[in-house]
Amino acid sequence: MTVEPERALPAVTDLTRPFWEAANDGRLAIQRCQPCGYYNHPPKPLCDRCQSGDLKFEDVSGHGTVWSFTVMHQKSIAGFQDSVPYVTALVELDEQKHLLLVTNLPGVDASDVKVGMHVTISFQRLSDEIALPQFVAAPS
Amino acid sequence: MTWAGKGKVAVAGIGFSALTRRSEQHLGKLAFDAANAALVDAGLEASQVDGLATYIMGGTGRDGVDSVSADYFLKHYTLSPDFRWYAELQQGMIASAVIEGANAIISGMANYVLVWRAMHNPPDRPYTQVTARTAQGDSQFSLPYGQSAVYQWHAMAYQRYLHEYGAKRESMAALAVNSRRNANMNERAYFRDTPMSEEDYLNSRFIAEPLCLFDCDIPIEGCAAFVLTSAERARDLKNPPAFIASVAQNTARNRPAMISYILDDYMACGATLAGQLWGDSGLGPRDMGAAQLYDGFSPSTYYWLEAAGFCDKGEAHAFVQNGRIAIEGEMPVNTFGGSLSEGRLHGMGHLAEAALQVTGRAGPRQVADCNASCAIDGSPLLRGSGVVFTSEP
Repeated sequence: MTVEPERALPAVTDLTRPFWEAANDGRLAIQRCQPCGYYNHPPKPLCDRCQSGDLKFEDVSGHGTVWSFTVMHQKSIAGFQDSVPYVTALVELDEQKHLLLVTNLPGVDASDVKVGMHVTISFQRLSDEIALPQFVAAPS
Repeated sequence: MTWAGKGKVAVAGIGFSALTRRSEQHLGKLAFDAANAALVDAGLEASQVDGLATYIMGGTGRDGVDSVSADYFLKHYTLSPDFRWYAELQQGMIASAVIEGANAIISGMANYVLVWRAMHNPPDRPYTQVTARTAQGDSQFSLPYGQSAVYQWHAMAYQRYLHEYGAKRESMAALAVNSRRNANMNERAYFRDTPMSEEDYLNSRFIAEPLCLFDCDIPIEGCAAFVLTSAERARDLKNPPAFIASVAQNTARNRPAMISYILDDYMACGATLAGQLWGDSGLGPRDMGAAQLYDGFSPSTYYWLEAAGFCDKGEAHAFVQNGRIAIEGEMPVNTFGGSLSEGRLHGMGHLAEAALQVTGRAGPRQVADCNASCAIDGSPLLRGSGVVFTSEP
């Protein structure tokens, strides 16, 4: 799918900057609680599991499986009107149950998307500062 | 613990404004139409209303135009000179306002509480339109992918449901068609004059697969209102009281960190809520003459059927087949047409129908010997609230 210029770009904050800096560098980094080891995504001020504030971003494998997906048909979202129908999926990273990231699965036809399919990370450049993590079909 | 309010409070009056796709009237006027109708239904005067409760999520600021607050009623509606209490809830669901009102009556804070929910549907601002140019907060991890509308999140959960339980989206036709059939018997329903066949459902366009157009409720402009009062007072009023046997509200607590509407926790949230409804009322799903289960998006009715124990987990897609949920079936569901076919009133239609059914006032939709009916609102993917109504306290 093509990137339309009016697509909303991430409003990066102190909380989320390490994620986007890593992505810009071609790495997928997820916020992890240092005392309990739990990955939090989206990043949180306090760990979702143990409420610790001792949270650091750590590189992850970038491997996961499609947890679910939908094919969007409505021309409802600025920057995506010309892209319908398009896929959005939730990928569960191998690191943790329910550690879910949104993706478009570029290169995968909507009719070929399956729950449970293996995917791996790539990046889609949106601007000088923003490279969007995108999962693609894992080589079989 | 058990709620101490069983049978102490009743819905004594029910009123609706006109429910239309767009309205020439200000929403404030529609809210007063509904309130007036509820008071007439109860045989009460506005000057007897001494408490107000509403659920006001989604208003965008212009009171009386986009939403109708308690403040709006306080400023513009005739109320009791002894008026003393109101609640205006941003969270929970509409039954939360009923719960607040019931507790206010039990505690002696108010004698007659007006509850309403007014819905605006402006033509220039479809409620699903996303025009943001920057992705703020958590949405920076979804909106840049074109994932933002509430139905896209519901579609994700529903796709997962289909996968986990080997269900087919075609099975939902039975539920949607049943709701339309019921709406065709409901004079206030938006789709009262429009029948729908299984083919109509299956041929409708996709919104976000697997959700099609008729899996989504129909946005309307309008208002529904109730008058709550004590069981004792209610017995002296014009119409038979719908007694409140139990109430509950709950939120999905263990859902993963990703934005809401993940499938996995719906049983925990919904079953806890339903357990309180059944426990406090001393009734169970099989005692319900009719079940009014929220259907802002049709899969939510599946989740409630399972979480509230009407069928086993993963079985709702089979349960709704072969007329079982029809008015004359073994477990009537959404006898008024649901939000899918009556219109999107955020659960007020469900509550109203449950109260009408237990008082024998549902007209052509009346379920025979309906002594109890539940209305459960929201989606257990995220949160919900509910009420069990009975014909005797």
